[in-house]
Formats: sequence, structure tokens, C-alpha cells
Amino acid sequence: MISTEVTKHLAQLSRLSFKEDELAEMTNQMSDIIALMDKVCDFDNNVKTYAPKEEKFNNLRCDKPRNSYPTEEIIGNSKAVRDNCFVVPKVV
Amino acid sequence: MRYIPVIGLEIHAELQTASKVFCGCANEFGGAPNDRVCPRCSGLPGTLPVLNKNAVILAARAGIAVDGTVNNYSSFDRKNYFYPDLPKAYQITQFEHPISSGGFIEIGGRKLRIHHLHIEEDAGKLVHDDYECISMADYNRCGVPLIEIVTEPDFRTIEEVQQFVEQMALRLKYAGVCDARMEQGSMRVDVNISIMPEGSDVFGTRAEIKNLNSIKAIGRAIEYEIKRQSEILDAGGQVVQETRRFNDNHGDTKALRSKEEAHDYRYFPEPDIPPVFLSDEEIEEIRAQVPEMPNKRVERYIGEYGLTAEEAALIVSDREFSDFYDKSAAASGCYKKTASLMLVGLNKLLNENPTPVSELKFGTRELSELALLWEENKINSNSAMEILEIMYAHGGTPAEIAGKHGMIMSADSDAAEKAVDKVLAENAKAAQDYKAGNKKLFGFLMGRAIGELGKSANPAVIKEILNKKL
Amino acid sequence: MKLKELRKKLDNKEIGAVELTRENLDAIKGDVCNSYITVCEEEAISAAREAQLLIDSGKALPMTGIPVSVKDNICTKGIRTTCASKMLEDFIPPYDASVVEKLKSQKTVILGKTNMDEFAMGGSSQTSYFGGVKNPADTSRVTGGSSGGAAASVAAGLCAAALGSDTGGSIRQPSAFCGVVGLKPTYGRVSRYGLIAFASSFDQIGPIAKSAEDTGYILSAIAGRDENDMTARCGSEDFTALCGKLPKGLKIGLPKEFFEGSDPGIAAAVSEAAQSYKELGAELIECSLPSLEYAVSAYYLISSAEAASNLSRFDGVKYGHRSADGDSFMELIENSRSEGFGSEVKRRIMLGNYALSSGYYDAYYKNASRIRTKIKAEYDDIFSRCDIVLTPTAPTTAYPIGFQENDPVKMYTADICTVTANIAGLPSVSIPCGADENGLPIGMSLTGRYMDEKLIIAAADAFERL
Repeated sequence: MISTEVTKHLAQLSRLSFKEDELAEMTNQMSDIIALMDKVCDFDNNVKTYAPKEEKFNNLRCDKPRNSYPTEEIIGNSKAVRDNCFVVPKVV
Repeated sequence: MRYIPVIGLEIHAELQTASKVFCGCANEFGGAPNDRVCPRCSGLPGTLPVLNKNAVILAARAGIAVDGTVNNYSSFDRKNYFYPDLPKAYQITQFEHPISSGGFIEIGGRKLRIHHLHIEEDAGKLVHDDYECISMADYNRCGVPLIEIVTEPDFRTIEEVQQFVEQMALRLKYAGVCDARMEQGSMRVDVNISIMPEGSDVFGTRAEIKNLNSIKAIGRAIEYEIKRQSEILDAGGQVVQETRRFNDNHGDTKALRSKEEAHDYRYFPEPDIPPVFLSDEEIEEIRAQVPEMPNKRVERYIGEYGLTAEEAALIVSDREFSDFYDKSAAASGCYKKTASLMLVGLNKLLNENPTPVSELKFGTRELSELALLWEENKINSNSAMEILEIMYAHGGTPAEIAGKHGMIMSADSDAAEKAVDKVLAENAKAAQDYKAGNKKLFGFLMGRAIGELGKSANPAVIKEILNKKL
Repeated sequence: MKLKELRKKLDNKEIGAVELTRENLDAIKGDVCNSYITVCEEEAISAAREAQLLIDSGKALPMTGIPVSVKDNICTKGIRTTCASKMLEDFIPPYDASVVEKLKSQKTVILGKTNMDEFAMGGSSQTSYFGGVKNPADTSRVTGGSSGGAAASVAAGLCAAALGSDTGGSIRQPSAFCGVVGLKPTYGRVSRYGLIAFASSFDQIGPIAKSAEDTGYILSAIAGRDENDMTARCGSEDFTALCGKLPKGLKIGLPKEFFEGSDPGIAAAVSEAAQSYKELGAELIECSLPSLEYAVSAYYLISSAEAASNLSRFDGVKYGHRSADGDSFMELIENSRSEGFGSEVKRRIMLGNYALSSGYYDAYYKNASRIRTKIKAEYDDIFSRCDIVLTPTAPTTAYPIGFQENDPVKMYTADICTVTANIAGLPSVSIPCGADENGLPIGMSLTGRYMDEKLIIAAADAFERL
């Protein structure tokens, strides 16, 4: 059983917010899920972690500039744009 | 209490590729907001990164330039955090297996070690509007390829840091990796600094200093930090591990408003980019692209050619200039005279009218001919410089120009003897005074004789005759 | 009618492309299953007209004029792509996914975007913001998921074939529940460029159709190396080449753990179906995948970790739902995300961040990664002795809508039969092999060696012909 503190911490990492009642339910569900996940904890450490097959250096993309997209197509889905920039509340 | 600073550097350098690191948008400076972006670098859903081969090449060159080891196997990782200049909310970087490990630059006899250098993508730019209380994000810079060079905390003086940064910038330029212009932001230096009591070997808590836009600013910031941290420790306090921003106007550093918690970046392997494998042959091919580094050239200039440290440093300050010197001097074998021609003559002209060495109206062959003429005493030093000026303005070959302007000195002593006789006759009193003991007058008489003969005056011959007659 | 036959009829002008498209569009209008989120009537008719021109000039390509549905997590330029989420309710991509480009280059007709579990996370297609999908076999039951709309559109005759996506079984399991054929290709066979990412190292786009040969036919059109996707390295070929020519003496492995983990009725039906292969000269071999007990946990840890990272970009700033509340940047994105995502998506993101967070990474993510290596090795071992692995596709048949809705753990463990193919990156096709006592379809899966789609499609096709 994980604590609501853990749930709050995960929520912060995830940039999600929960109301008090949601928090309790989420904590319950996460506890069950994590209990299922705990199965992996005692797996053999001597097995190597998975690494996909390498790509040959020669197959990498050639360094040629290609057309960028028109600005409107990139910003077109945003609800807050000014001077062709994406707008957010001021950050530090 | 006397404290010793312990400093490490994190240097970010923009790679001079044609396109961005994970997409085909052009890698250029500036532009109207969001006019050099595509779905990939602006983090649209469904997009995938495609690694730029040239970014890997340039990063490998950088590793070679600092005597590091280019790794056969390197891979990418995600660094996760939320910020409006980071469209995917993660940065693709290299955490576990960087492109190059180790390396060093020697400054003042001390090897200042590099831990590793890795490839990563740059974030966008934010413009703040205080009145409206908003920030505006421009993604043009997202995806510009960077290398991050991380040093060991080996630095102990401000001078070491400044010289290291200068050397690093020069090496990156030599290797064709980055144009290393701090003021423009293509090379950014963050300083990690702590202090420890003299005689101790236990490092203190360090602060990270950002926003250093020049070599001078680095010096001022470190000076300020040493003072600030010393005062804290002297008062019995503790230095806080934090990021601080240097303010160029005030010359001080201020803590960035502390974020709620230290970032947990949750690094994990980037699943969209397979690891890259570079064979030993491929690494050697890249090594062959890296020209001789400035420090090795300086060794050669001083040790083998007898140039002074100052001359050597001046020549290597620009790679093309140094390459030009090397080629020309090797052809003529006149190392000192070529240095003289280039540093005294050519530099003066270049200062007035900056021109890339490749666009000069004469080449290395003409310069080596000129040096030889001078070395073989066929022309005097004044003529040499004059010929250089003429070649710079109009081209042509030294022999041609010397002939045209009557600059060829003959070893023939008749003309010289006639001139000396004339001078001695016209300046009989001076000659007498010289013989009586006023040795300074020799120069005066020499000057007169040279003036008589004009351009073809051969100082060595005149001197000999004058000495004989007096 | 198989697609090869449809192709002939189109080329012979027995059927007109526009007529065919209108038939499908009309059928969609009568859909009671909520299979489609967006229907592209105008674009479809327009594409059908262009297809007809191509057919008329004798230059028709395999997919010309064939009407398909596309799962709504695959980007279609100018047509909203929602991932069945409030977060992307009005997102209109400015570009086409590579598979869409490939289909369009053949003048395929795209009828519309199909319904799914939100962001492809789920096994029921009930978490959609646009309402759940009903199973055409029994509309009181789920289709399975997450490609539920795709599977239903095929089962209900609302398209000739569908594109879905499979991360932990999302093509195969709904295909099994709806009684159609669904293929998850080898990882790297089909480009993921334009597939809105869930778990990058597992996701694959694949075909759902009425027959195994059809899935091979479609795969040939959408597969191939893509310069837009560094992981799409496999290339394409004619995947129907072995249909009707199944090699004799095929060795078919039956890993016991899969059967032990399924409902007895399912296990029995699939075992019996397996026996039929003996008539084709195949040999059935008992084998074992000992690490199966770790598979679900390993899959959920890695896929959630990747998903948490992939979904971090959804903050309402560049696109998608933007909250009206939020005085600071962090508040704004927190609110946008909390309002825009459904519960299951939130759970997966939280689980993913748990697995990656400082102090837990080694115990969870890294161990899951080790299990992945082990499962891959165990499959390599099985394939040194067998050519194909045969298992049930799901431990149950389609369950009633609303059942086990609030029990995430139960939902997750139901993926036991499908996830290992994603973990190991192997191709796997699900075909109907019978029905349960309620008449609900039972699916069996044939999993093959890396890049061996041709063989499993042929084996599935052979079963269909029996």
C-alpha cells in the first residue's frame, strides 16, 4: 500500500492534479497496480538490460537542410499565440 | 582563512551542421519567430527524431581535438522536465554512453582534464513580457545540435579557466566544429565553483554559475563567487548548492528563484534512436579530418623553427593564417622571415582591411619566393615589406615586382664604393668625428649611403665598404 | 470477398470505386457500434474518383480504390486526429503519417478515423472520450482494445479493411473478440512516423481484415524502411507469397504457460484448433516460456515509462486542450493535463514516472528491461526448435460492457497472451478459431520469428482453408 504522499509526488512529476477524493481513489488503484509491478523486483540481476541492435554510422541521415513548415501550420493548433510565438504565463 | 577555488566547467558548443540534429530544418542563427521549425522540432504528436550524421562527425572531431577517446558505441537518452522552451518536455541527450570520453588541455604545465563530451539538442528561446505577464516561446533554436563538454574539477585559478576556454574555442574552430563565439551564444560556459581551505583536499559545496557571455565575465564571476563563498564560510555558514545567474552590469551573481524541488530528470534510453556504432576505421577517417591542433603547432614553431612564443601564439590564433604560414614557410625553409612577413607586414594590412587568407591576391608560393629573395639578400627588409604591400593590393610575383621597382640589390661593390666615396666626401667632418670616437655617426653615414643608392642599396655591402674606408 | 478478388473486380470494372465507397459510407451511417470518431465523406469520394481514373488508365496499384478505416491515433493531414481523448479533441495534424502517405500514393480510399481506447491505453475500447465501442458480434459486449473501432468496422462490414496499432495486444485482442483477423508486424516493419506514440519500443501499426491473406496484402503496401523513422529498418515484400504453399513438416510450438493462464474453455478450443495443423503435415511440440509470469509487469513498467515521457508534450500550449485556469506555467499545464486526460491515461503516466523516478529506476525499469532480454532469449530458444508459436490470443472472450471497468489490475493481467510478442518485437497474427458457448468468437495467435510474417500469414491462411 503506497501513501498519499507518494501519489502526490507522482502527480507532481506527471504534472497532474487531483482533488482530495480523487487522490484517495488514485492511491488505492496505484497501490494495487504497484503490487502487481513488484513482481519484477526480485528478478535476476545478472541478466543484461535490453539494448536494441545498433545502427551503422554510415546509414545515418545526410546533413542537407530541408524545407521547414510554414509557421501557420506549426502554430495553427495553438489556442494562444502572439507574434507567431506560443504564449504561456511568465516564467522565471 | 585562505581558500582555494575548485572549479569545473560545462561548455556547450553549437555544432556547425547545415541542418538540425534530429530534423532537416536549417541550422542557422536568428530568423522570424517559428519560421525555421517543423513538426519534429516543435514537438508535434507522432513525430520521431532522425539523427544527423554530420552531428556525430563533428562531435567525434571535437573529442579528437581534445585528445579524448571516441567511443565505438554511443547511445541517446531522454532527460525529462517541463519548461516552455522544451516542446517535447524532454531533451534528447547522451547520459550513459557519450560520443567521447576523457581528454585534456594543458595550460601552464597542468593537464586540465575533460571527463567526457556528449551530443544533445538545444532548447528554444523565451521572450518575456513583464507588462502582460507572459512568456513567448520561439522554437527556431530547438533541435540545434550541441556538444556539452564536461571537465573534471581541476581548475584552481581564474587564469587557468580563461586560458582553457580560449584554447577550447580555438581548438573547436580549428576542427571545424563550432565558430565558438561566446558573445553570440554559439559557445556557452557554465562554471561550477566551490572553495576549500588552503591545504585541505576536501571539496566544498559548489554553486553553478550561468549567463557568462565573455572570457572577462568568467573572470569577474569567479572572483565574485570566491569572495561570496569565503564570506559565508568565514561567518560559519554553509554554501548552498544552487544555480546562480551572473549579472554583467553589477558584476555579481544571484540565485535563480529556487524551483520547488530539485529536478528528477528520470533519464532512460531513447527508444526512437538506435545506438550508433562507429568502427575503428570510421573513427580514423574522422581523425584524418582534424588538422594539427594549435598547441602542437606552437611546440613546433618554437622548438623547430626558432620562433618566439609570442610569434607562435599570434600565428596560431587563426587556423587559415597558420596553415598559410606552414605551407609557405615549408616551401622556402625561411621560417623566421616568413613569420616576420606575415606578422609585421600582412597583419598590418589585414587589420586595416580584414580579408580571409584564402581571398588574398597572392598565395603561399609567392610568399615563399619573397622570403627566399630576402633570405638570399637579393632585396633588403624595406623592399620585402614593400613588395608584400604591392602583392596584397595588386597581386604579381616578388621577382617581377622587385625587378620593376629596381629593388634587386647587387653584390657588386662598384656602385656601393662610388656611393660611399661620395658620402664621405660630402660629409668629411662627420667622418672625422667618427674616427675621433663618435661611433653613433656610423649610422648616419650608412643612412646617407643607402639613400644614395636607393632601393637597390645592399646594406651589408655598404657596411663593409664604409668600415674599410673609415 | 478477399482483397485480391476485390482488386480484380475493381480492375474489371465489375465494381466502381465511387460506388464501392458510397456503399461503405452508407453502411457507416447505420453503424450502431460507434466504430468511427470521424467520417471523411468528402475526402473519401474525392479519393475514390481519383482511384477510378487510375483504374481506368490501367495503372491501378494493389490498394487503389480499396476503402479502409484508420485508427484515430494515426495522423491524417487536415483531418482531426483525436486519440479518442479530450486532450486532442480538435487537433488537426499538418502532416500525414508515413503509412497514410503510402496508402494515399496508391489512391486508397480512407473512409474515416476509428474509435479506440484513449491514447491506445486499454483492452476494452471503453475509455474513449467519444463513448465506448460495441462489439458487432454482441452489442452488449466490449470489442476489446485498444483498436476496438478498427476491429468492429471490419467485423460489421463498414470498410474492406482497417489499420490499427498494437502495443501490448491492441490489434490482436480486439480482432479475437470481434471474430476478425489482426496482424501485429515485426517491430520495425512498419514506420511509426505519424503514429501518436504510446510506447515507442513496442508500438506497431498493422492491418485488421476478414482474412489472413488480406492482412498480408495490406502489409505489403504499408511496410518498408522509412527515412522518417530510425527504427523502421525491415523493408517490405509480398507477404502473401506462401499462401496456399504452406511448407510441410512445420514445427508448431505450444508454450504451456499460455494455456495454463487462460480460461479452460479457451485453452481447450485453441488446443483443438492446433490439432488441425496435423492434417497439414505439421508437428505440434510442447514448449515453455518460463518468464511469462514476469511478462505483464515488465510490459506495463516499460510501456508506461515510455508513455509517461511521450505524453509529457501534451500541455495545451502548442496544441490540444488548454485549461482556462492557471496563473503560472506549471499550474496551466497541470490543469490542462488533468482536464484533458482520462483516468486510465493518468494511471499509466503515474506508473511510468514511478518506474523511472529516482530511487526506483533500478528496481523497476531496469529489472523490467532485464526481463525483456530474458523473454527475447527464451523465444530465440523456442524458435531454434519450432517455426511458429501457437497460443490463445486472450484468456477470455468478449465480456460485458462495464464489467471489470474499475479494476485496472484485472485488465492488465488479461494481456498475458499478447504482450510477449511486443516485448520480443516478433510478428503475431490472431485468427478466429471457434466460438464459446455464447457464440462469442475465440481467437488464436500465431507468432513467428523476427521478420517471418510470410510464414505466419500462410499458416493462418491454411487454417482458414481447412
